[in-house]
Amino acid sequence: MSAARPAVRNLFSRHLASAASTPATAAVRPAVIAAAAGAAQSPSCRHHQFHSSAQLEARRRPRFKSVRAEEMGLVSEKKVQEYSDKTFPRYTQEEMEALAEQYSPAQLAALEAGEAAIDPRDLTIQGRLRVDPYRMPYIDDFAEIQPIIDRRPRKQPPPDPNARFMNLDEFTEDLIKWADKFQTGPVTGTLKKLTDFVPKEYRKKPEGQWPGAIRDRAHEDFALYIQEEASKPPTDPDVAAVSGPTDADVLEYILERSSMTDGNRTSNSALAPALPAKVPGVTGLYKNAIDPADEGLDDTGIYQELKKRTGMTVREIMGIRCAELVQRFVSNQTRLGKIRSTSSLWVAGNGHGWLGIGIAKSVEPMAANQRAKMLAIRNMRPIRRYEERTIYGNVEAKVGGSVVRLFSRPPGFGLRVSHRIFEMCRAAGIKDLSAKFIRSRNPLNTVKATYDALTSQPDPEEIAIGRGKKLVDVRKVYYGGAVH
Amino acid sequence: MGVNSVTNACAHLQNASRARLGLTSLPNNKYNLRLALALHRAGFVNSVTRAGPHPPPPEALLTFEPEPVTNTNVATRRLWLGLKYWNNEPVMKKVTPVSKPSRLVTATLDELSRVSRGFPAGHLKGLNLGECMFLSTDRGVLEVREALERKVGGLVLCRVS
Repeated sequence: MSAARPAVRNLFSRHLASAASTPATAAVRPAVIAAAAGAAQSPSCRHHQFHSSAQLEARRRPRFKSVRAEEMGLVSEKKVQEYSDKTFPRYTQEEMEALAEQYSPAQLAALEAGEAAIDPRDLTIQGRLRVDPYRMPYIDDFAEIQPIIDRRPRKQPPPDPNARFMNLDEFTEDLIKWADKFQTGPVTGTLKKLTDFVPKEYRKKPEGQWPGAIRDRAHEDFALYIQEEASKPPTDPDVAAVSGPTDADVLEYILERSSMTDGNRTSNSALAPALPAKVPGVTGLYKNAIDPADEGLDDTGIYQELKKRTGMTVREIMGIRCAELVQRFVSNQTRLGKIRSTSSLWVAGNGHGWLGIGIAKSVEPMAANQRAKMLAIRNMRPIRRYEERTIYGNVEAKVGGSVVRLFSRPPGFGLRVSHRIFEMCRAAGIKDLSAKFIRSRNPLNTVKATYDALTSQPDPEEIAIGRGKKLVDVRKVYYGGAVH
Repeated sequence: MGVNSVTNACAHLQNASRARLGLTSLPNNKYNLRLALALHRAGFVNSVTRAGPHPPPPEALLTFEPEPVTNTNVATRRLWLGLKYWNNEPVMKKVTPVSKPSRLVTATLDELSRVSRGFPAGHLKGLNLGECMFLSTDRGVLEVREALERKVGGLVLCRVS
């Protein structure tokens, strides 16, 4: 039912549109008319209709035809004169007498001159006082720009979008053009010639074709001019130097002259035009140079500083095992409220005896993680490993209230430690270890204490040297050293 | 005479090492002398010299001829021990007495063998890396490895590391 409805309405409305000019009786029984509509449709409605709304038959026409003022005789000279005389009448004799009482004769003369200056016909045709409801609250013909009310006119054309910085040749040309403005005094080639003393039409013709009177006159004038020039005192070189550009001109050249190929076009704005997208000589200087040695692994440049500090390649840096061990949500209480940020502790290790921890804080957790990770990699230090699997002896370290004891263990013992120390051991490449927190188990302090313990393992060599003893590792002596 | 003087000597030696002293003195008695000689054998001290209330000059420490102990000077004799340092660290960092006059700790040979291999035995914890334990046996004051060589147990005096 609902699917059929548009079709019915379409049919019906189509007929209504085509029968718009028919008497209103047609709308009384739409069903009957709709049935007959197929035959009554005009040819213009046969084509497909893509709208559901009623189609108009043709362009809507105004109900009344407009009549031009010319046809009504309103712009004829007679009517204009009539209107001018009626609207802008001249002062009558009585009015002049009344004015004479008010004004002095000089003022009256000025009034008359003003009246005579304005033609009433011009007032009729051009000047027009608006009477429409949207007129200004003041009388103005908008002939002047009033800075307080009006917008500043944009006299200059918009800046040249294709302008670019001048190259050396263009710059030289521009500089010469600017310097030419200050060229004063006699310069070779600026003296007048004989041809300058004849009328224009003869200037391009050879001298032989000039009429005799003109030629004689030109020769006389030229001789006079030459004498005049010769009798002038020689120009002082200092005076010539002074007549060059002043300091203000040079300053203006430096500060205000356009350095682009827009012909020193002045701008509507007091601001200098913005720099173009590509500034020659600067393009590419301030971009992160992507090192081809990075193999495209570090296009964002986050590893570049680390690369310089550690001397590792980006591939090596990315191969370092990193893990986030502690994340804390901390806040700084200011007078404007709490500023919450995230503090992260990351651990990094190469799996072969190097381990580092990094702590960073930021409002953005991602930034804190990134920074802590970089710091951890940067802080990597060698960890002493016995047989590359466990630590030397038992070590203990304390940070705050957290005391960590680490115990070396035999091969195959595994890592029987807490999950944070497990990550650290995995990063450092320690495989057999047990640990105990005998006091506080604060996450941050236990990690720090573990790192301290791992880095402060005793060195058997140093102990032996200190005591003056020869040191032998018996694990490498018994069974021919085959103890693993 | 009990282990009192040894217990005191342990505390004094640790304090002197931490204070970075080059030379320190212990009261002159047989127990201290034997412990000092054992420490010297283990390499914890440079020199052991018996002298008066003032130490011999440092250059003469090794060649010093002590005057014989007599009844008249025995009360003023002291043992002068030269302390060792390496890499800006004292060689003898930690000296912990084990036996004290109120509780004497003895160890059998089996216990010693376990302790020397790093395992606990009875009241004794296993030795850590670079740790030494000194015993008073009927063969004199010995380090635990010396005692194991001689197969003797005895009174545990102190642990040094």
